[in-house]
Amino acid sequence: MPRGLLVCGFGVCACLRLWAQAEAVNAPEPGGRLAQWDRLRQKKEEEIRAPERKGLEKALYRFKEEHVMERLAAGWRGVHLVFGGLQTGSGFALGAEFRQERLARGIVDLRVGARGSLHAYEKWEFQIGMPRLHNEHVFLDFTATYRNYPQSRYFGIGPRSRKADRTNFRLEDTTYLGSLGLKWKRWFRVGMRGGIIAANTGPGTDSRYASTETVFRPSNTPALDFQPDHYQVGAFAQMDWRDEPGNPRSGGNYLVQWNLFGDRNQSLYTFRRYEAEFQQYVPFFNRRRVIAFRARTSLTDTSPGQTVPFYMMPTLGGSEDLRGFREFRFRDKNLMVYNLEYRWEVFSGLDMALFGDAGKVFGNRSDFSLDKLEGAYGIGFRFNQAKAVFLRIDLGRSREGTRIFFKFGHVF
Amino acid sequence: MCSERPIHRSGERLVLALLVAASAPAQKFLPDDPIARDPDDRHIAAPRRYKLSDYYDFLQNSFGSPGDRKPRTAMNINTLGEVPDSSWFTNRHGRRRLSIEELVRGPDRGTGPAPGPWKVLRGKNEGITPGFSLIEDSRGERYAIKFDPPGNLEMATSADVLGSKFFYAAGYHVPENYIVYFRPEQLELGPDAVITDTLGKQRKMDRRDIHELLNRVARAPDGRYRAVASRILAGQDMGPFRYYGTRPDDPNDIFPHEHRRELRGLWVLAAWLNHDDSRAINTLDMLVNENGRQFIRHYLIDFGSILGSGSTSEQKPRAGYEYLWEPGIAFARMATLGLYDRHWIRIRYPVYPSIGRIEGDHFRPEEWKPEYPNPAFLNCLPEDAYWAAKIVMSFTDEEIRRIVAAGRISDQQAEDYLIGVIIKRRDKVGRYWLNAVNSVDRFQIQGDRLHFEDLAVQYGFAGRPAAYTAAWYRYDNERDRKTPMQVSQEAAGPPLVIPAEARTAGDALYFTVQIRRKVEGGARIPQAVHVYFRKEPGGLKIVGIEREE
Repeated sequence: MPRGLLVCGFGVCACLRLWAQAEAVNAPEPGGRLAQWDRLRQKKEEEIRAPERKGLEKALYRFKEEHVMERLAAGWRGVHLVFGGLQTGSGFALGAEFRQERLARGIVDLRVGARGSLHAYEKWEFQIGMPRLHNEHVFLDFTATYRNYPQSRYFGIGPRSRKADRTNFRLEDTTYLGSLGLKWKRWFRVGMRGGIIAANTGPGTDSRYASTETVFRPSNTPALDFQPDHYQVGAFAQMDWRDEPGNPRSGGNYLVQWNLFGDRNQSLYTFRRYEAEFQQYVPFFNRRRVIAFRARTSLTDTSPGQTVPFYMMPTLGGSEDLRGFREFRFRDKNLMVYNLEYRWEVFSGLDMALFGDAGKVFGNRSDFSLDKLEGAYGIGFRFNQAKAVFLRIDLGRSREGTRIFFKFGHVF
Repeated sequence: MCSERPIHRSGERLVLALLVAASAPAQKFLPDDPIARDPDDRHIAAPRRYKLSDYYDFLQNSFGSPGDRKPRTAMNINTLGEVPDSSWFTNRHGRRRLSIEELVRGPDRGTGPAPGPWKVLRGKNEGITPGFSLIEDSRGERYAIKFDPPGNLEMATSADVLGSKFFYAAGYHVPENYIVYFRPEQLELGPDAVITDTLGKQRKMDRRDIHELLNRVARAPDGRYRAVASRILAGQDMGPFRYYGTRPDDPNDIFPHEHRRELRGLWVLAAWLNHDDSRAINTLDMLVNENGRQFIRHYLIDFGSILGSGSTSEQKPRAGYEYLWEPGIAFARMATLGLYDRHWIRIRYPVYPSIGRIEGDHFRPEEWKPEYPNPAFLNCLPEDAYWAAKIVMSFTDEEIRRIVAAGRISDQQAEDYLIGVIIKRRDKVGRYWLNAVNSVDRFQIQGDRLHFEDLAVQYGFAGRPAAYTAAWYRYDNERDRKTPMQVSQEAAGPPLVIPAEARTAGDALYFTVQIRRKVEGGARIPQAVHVYFRKEPGGLKIVGIEREE
C-alpha cells in the first residue's frame, strides 16, 4: 500500500511538473504581442455578455423561425384564408378554402371553398381530383361551382358597343364539370371533359348603372329573357414547355380545345366553341430580357336557328387581354387577341414590361382578320418571388382612356 | 470594391494602439514578434447558441453599413503581414506547400459514410434544398446528405466538395465533404427518425417521406442517387459568425471580423471560386473541446453555391457581378426601359449541366461581388488582397486539375472546361492583386545575402524590372525613427548584400531596408517594400514587412 501511494505520488508530481512546463511554454512573453492580446482577452472576459436580438432583427428572426409565411400558406388544419378570386368589379373579396392533398393513400386531392365580396359577389367551389394516377400519367378531376355575381358588366354585343351603354346584370350559375386526361412527359396533356351548366341572369345591383334588361332587349341580347341549362362535352390538348409557368422566360404554351354546349331546354342555344392559344417566350441577354407573345382566339359555331347566350360569349378587355379597356368591354360570338410584351429585369425582385395589345370581337367568322383591331399599350411592373410573379401592376392606355390594374399573378 | 486609399503607418499604429489599449508600449516590434500563432483557444465558458436572421442579415448589409468601415490595416496580422494560425485560420498551402495527396484529401480524415445501411435520423423539407440533415452510417459516424437539383446532376455536389478542398487548402476551417452514390434501399429509417416539414414542425418520418424527398432531387442514369455527405462537425453548434464586430460572449474573439485579414482576403478567394453565397448564414461557430480547453472554432460551410452552381439551379448570370439590390443600376434600368445594363447580361456560357454557369473571360477580380455587401470584403485593402492572391497563386495547374478531379464530374469535356476556368480566374486574380502592391516577397537571409522573389515577375504578370534599388537604415524601435546608413544598392535581381554594420551589430538592434523596383528609363515604381531586421544572438532575423500601397 505505501509503495502504491509512493508510485501515485510520483505520478501526480510528474503530471504537475509537465503541466507547469506546458503552462510556462504557453504563457505569453511579458511585454510581448501575445501578452497584449492576452490582456485584451482578459478584459473582454470581464465584460462578457450574451448576444441578443433587438428590434427589427428580433422581429425578422421570429418571422422566419415561426414560419409565418409558410403557416399563412399552409392555413390552419387545411383551412386557408383566400383573397380575391372573383370577377373584377366585385370589390374586396375574402374567403376560406379547405385543401387537403394526398388523401386516400396519396391519390386524392380535395378542395372546398367559399368566398364573398363587398359588393355581395359570392362563389362556392368543390373540387376533388386525382392528379397522380398511374404514376402521374393519368388525371381525373371533378369540380362543382356556384357563382352569384350581381354586378356583372355588359356593354352590348359586337365591336361597336359603346362605353356609355354600360349596364350591369346578375349572373348566377352552377357548373358541374368532370375531366379525364393523360399526361405525357411533363409538358403534354390531352383530355376530355363533360358537365352541366345551369345559369340565371337577373337585374344588376350596381345603382350607378342601369340594369341590363332595362336597356337591352332579347333581340339584341340573346337569352336575356330566358336562360337555358347546358350540357358540355369537349376535348383539349396542351403542350406546355415554359421554364417557369409562374414567370416564364423561355418556352411556350400551346392549347387547343373544342367544346359543345348543348341547350337542354329549348334547343335554341346550342353551340360549338373552338379555342386556341399560343404563347411563346423568347429570352435574350441571359434571360434578363424576354419577348413574350400571345395569340388567342375563340370561335363559335352555331347551327341555323341557334345562337349563344350573351353571358356565355367570350369577352375582351381588362387586365388579361386588352389593357386600356374595362373588363368585359367587348363581347361577341368570336374573339381574337394578340399581346406582345418586352420584359426586362430591373433587379431580382422586379421585372418591368412594355406591352401592346390588339384584339377584337366579331359576329361572323368571315371577320376573322387583322382588320379593325382595338389597340392598347402600356407599361407594367411585376414583383417576383423566386419562380413566380406575385403582384402585377399594369398601366394600360387605349382610345377609351387609361386603366391601372393590380393583379396577383402573371398576365400570361 | 477594394479600397485604394493608402494606409499610413502612423494610422496603423493608432489603430493598433486603440486595440491594445493605452497601456501598450509604442514599439513597432515587440520581443515575440513576429508571432506565428494566435492562442485564441483559451478556455471559455460555454456561450449561448445564437442563430442569425438571414432576412436581417440581408437588409442590414444591403441598406445599412454595419461594422467599422474606416480603411485601416487588418488587426490580426503579425508584423510580417501574415495571418497567424488561430481558431479562424491555419496557414496551409500558402505557407507550406501541401502535396497533391494532401490537397486532394483536403479536410477529409476518413473515407466518408461506410458501405452498408445508412440510418436516416432526420430529414428536412424546409430550406431551399431537400436532404437528410442527419444520417448515421454502419460505423456510427454522422453526416448530412445534400443532393443535386434535377437537371443538374453532379453540379452542386461537386461544387460542395471542391469548395471544401480549395478553402481548406487555403487555410480555412471547413467540414469534410464526400461524394457518395447510393440506392434508396440503402437507407433505413432510424427508430426515432423525424422530419422537419415546411412549417418547421418535426414529426415522425416514414418511408414515404424518403421516397418523396428523393423524388425532388437528381438521380444518376444507373438509378443511384448522388449526394454529398458532409460529416457533422465536432462540437456544439453556436450559430454563424457575422462578417463584422465580435461575438460578445467569446472572450477569445477580440478582433473585429471586418478587420481580420483572412476574412477580408476571403473576398479574393471567393471571387476566384465564385463563392457568391459568402455570407454569415454560410458560416458556423463550433464550440469544441480540445486538450481540456473549450473554445470556439470558426468554420466556412456550405459550398453548394460556388463555381457554376447556384445550389438549386445553375448560378445566376448576375452572380459575382452585381448585388441582389443595387439602387443605382436598378433605377438606370427602370429609367432606360432596360436599354442600359451591365456587361454581364451579354456573357455567353457554354452548356454544361454538371458545371452550371461560370466563365473566366469576363471575370474581373477587383469588381467581383457576392450576393449582398459583406463588411469584411468591403474593408479589403490591397495588402489584404495581395495576401489572399498569394494563396490563390499557390495552386498550380496540376494541383487544380487534381482537386477538380475529386469532384467526380463524369463529363470529361465539362471537367476540362471547369479546370480551364479556374486557372484563368486564378491568373486574373494574381495579375491584378500581385500588381496592386510591390510583390517583392519570400525574403530569406542566407549568410550576408538577403534573398527574395518578385512574385508578379515570377508568375509572368509583370515585366522584369531593370533593377531593384535598396536603401538601408538603422531603425529605432522605441521611437519609430529611421537613420540612413548611407548604403544604397542597385541590383539586377536578388540577392541583396546585407551591410556589414547590420550583420555585426549588437543584439536587439533593428535595421530596415526599403526595396523598390526600377523600371527602364530610370523611373521608379513608387511602391516600396520595407523589410525590418532584428539582431538576435543567432544573427539577423526578419521581423517585419510593410508594403506601400
